[in-house]
Amino acid sequence: MDRRSFLRTSAVVAAGIAAIAAGLAPLRDLKNFESVEEFLQKHYKELTPEEMKQALERISREVERQYGLRPHVRDLKPMDGVEFAYALNLTRCIGCRKCVHACVAENNQSRNPEIQYIRVLKMPNGTLDMEKGDHNYATESVPEKGFFYMPVQCHQCHNPPCVKVCPVEATWQESDGITVIDYDWCIGCRYCEAACPYWARRFNFTEPSIPRDQVNPNMAYLGNRPRHQGVMEKCHFCIQRTREGKYPACLEVCPTGARKFGNVLDPNSEISQILKNKRVFVLKEEVGTLPRFFYYFDV
Amino acid sequence: MECPSKASLALTGLAVAFLALAMAFHLEIWGRYEPPPALPRVDPSFTNTSTVRTSLAELKRTGGDTSEFACNACHEVGDHARKLRLDEKGSVILPDAHSELVMRHGRSNRNDNCFNCHDEANREMLRTRDGRMLKLEESTMLCASCHGPTYRDWESGIHGRTSGFWKRDLGPIVRKDCADCHDPHAPAFPSVKTAPGPHGLHQKQEKGKFHG
Ligand code: HEC
Ligand code: HEC
Ligand code: HEC
Ligand code: HEC
Repeated sequence: MDRRSFLRTSAVVAAGIAAIAAGLAPLRDLKNFESVEEFLQKHYKELTPEEMKQALERISREVERQYGLRPHVRDLKPMDGVEFAYALNLTRCIGCRKCVHACVAENNQSRNPEIQYIRVLKMPNGTLDMEKGDHNYATESVPEKGFFYMPVQCHQCHNPPCVKVCPVEATWQESDGITVIDYDWCIGCRYCEAACPYWARRFNFTEPSIPRDQVNPNMAYLGNRPRHQGVMEKCHFCIQRTREGKYPACLEVCPTGARKFGNVLDPNSEISQILKNKRVFVLKEEVGTLPRFFYYFDV
Repeated sequence: MECPSKASLALTGLAVAFLALAMAFHLEIWGRYEPPPALPRVDPSFTNTSTVRTSLAELKRTGGDTSEFACNACHEVGDHARKLRLDEKGSVILPDAHSELVMRHGRSNRNDNCFNCHDEANREMLRTRDGRMLKLEESTMLCASCHGPTYRDWESGIHGRTSGFWKRDLGPIVRKDCADCHDPHAPAFPSVKTAPGPHGLHQKQEKGKFHG
């Protein structure tokens, strides 16, 4: 190799390296890569109790660093003999959206950009076609004459398409019927979002932001612990509440009593009474998802 | 000088392209990621669990002001009510002392006779059509006497709201009374203020409203 071609080749190589380095510049913005522990952590179902303890401890540390408060993070398991279901009385619902905001507050959803698990559709009377619904309605007060309101959230299907499409098994159905997500295992491909016929899954396009004084410290691993950029999230029937025997936050805040929740395996629960005595239906029955979220009209 | 080989020409071209790209990234000619504009905080009234009104029962439970319900400060016990004055359509004309009441019970305001519910001799008591005497804060049983099917649903938790624990052995429940949601004199559910709608990532603010 003569001197000239050596110089030329090395100039090209140097320029190439510089170019690639500069081309990687956008990675400068990559944050939250500090946690090697999180990166090396096993799948939820493979964690030993000891490893779970460590994971919960790590999450507490991260929350404390980010939000300045010590959370109470637990790994709550499904209860025996319990299968949850939800029923929503469309004759009662007035579309006030209190459930939307109570859910955001309870479940540590990002305030900016906004992530909300519940969408309230304003529907013209006489149709159940979700395409006709409007979720941006901005009237001063509700209800409006000629419309009814249909809140939609995760239906916790018996036959969940979102679970089937996940390439890494980061989302699965638990024995009490709740479809959960391991936020540390999710790779953010958004297949589940596309597969869901109810538009129930939300993606963290940016790092979520929650004002420090609004963080809910009562957290569950598969529930409302804070998420990071690049993972999916959705309604999980407030695991941190319901697996402790409480009602979900959206039910507690509903001023009309339109929302009903409980254990279908208990014949005396109000949810069982409703399924038995009211004419309930599910959305998009034809797609075969078998939701655990029922709607009904009642006079 | 020998002819530059095709390979090194291509390499030089690539290097130039890469350098241009690097410059472009460096100068951020495609713009930086801008965090979305600040959104207003949600009014805490939209996340509290209160119902649309507060019944006397709830006021007593929470130690609120119950002075409005001291009827016998003005009325005398045993003082049998005068005949209610009716207008030409047969509706009760409100006495001036109670002119702030709104009477609209039922689609045709059929249930506006005070003594369908209040006792004639002691205004601090309620009286059902079948003669049972109830305290003012026991109004749910009064409603039950005329709205049997709704009361049955309420009892099983289907009508109204039950808060607390779905798993009853883990904690207590609270069941809201009829009068926490319905004004006994005008029971149709009132309209309420709408909480803010969703602000999508790419929605622009326009005249205080958000459009998709
Ligand atoms: C500030 C005094 C005051 C209080 C307190 C008050 N009332 Fe009265 N109320 C009146 C007056 C004055 C009239 C009109 C009587 C008349 O027309 O002679 C009236 C009339 C009525 C009437 C119409 C029939 C009638 O007796 O003349 C009813 C029913 C009634 N009150 C019920 C109640 C009940 C129930 C309460 C308590 C929850 C109550 N009032 C508290 C002053 C009061
Ligand atoms: C459908 C039954 C019913 C009828 C009819 C009715 N009341 Fe009442 N009223 C109640 C009940 C129940 C309460 C207690 C409300 C609570 O717990 O908030 C009450 C409360 C009141 C109060 C106390 C505070 C308030 O403003 O609510 C007054 C005054 C009163 N009634 C007057 C009247 C008068 C006067 C009439 C007739 C024009 C009348 N009521 C007709 C059931 C009735
Ligand atoms: C004396 C019998 C009677 C009592 C007591 C009674 N109601 Fe009613 N209620 C009626 C009648 C009659 C109607 C009208 C039904 C219709 O229009 O078809 C009605 C209608 C209603 C409606 C329908 C709303 C509307 O305006 O169309 C509601 C809600 C209601 N009552 C709630 C209550 C509550 C809450 C109580 C207890 C504080 C109560 N009622 C006590 C007789 C009663
Ligand atoms: C948590 C709030 C809440 C409670 C508690 C509640 N209701 Fe209702 N009730 C509603 C709403 C909301 C409607 C729908 C009303 C409307 O569309 O105007 C309704 C409707 C009604 C109606 C009209 C018929 C119907 O079913 O649409 C009656 C009658 C009624 N309620 C009676 C009662 C009685 C009696 C009680 C107590 C035993 C009671 N309610 C307790 C919220 C409540």
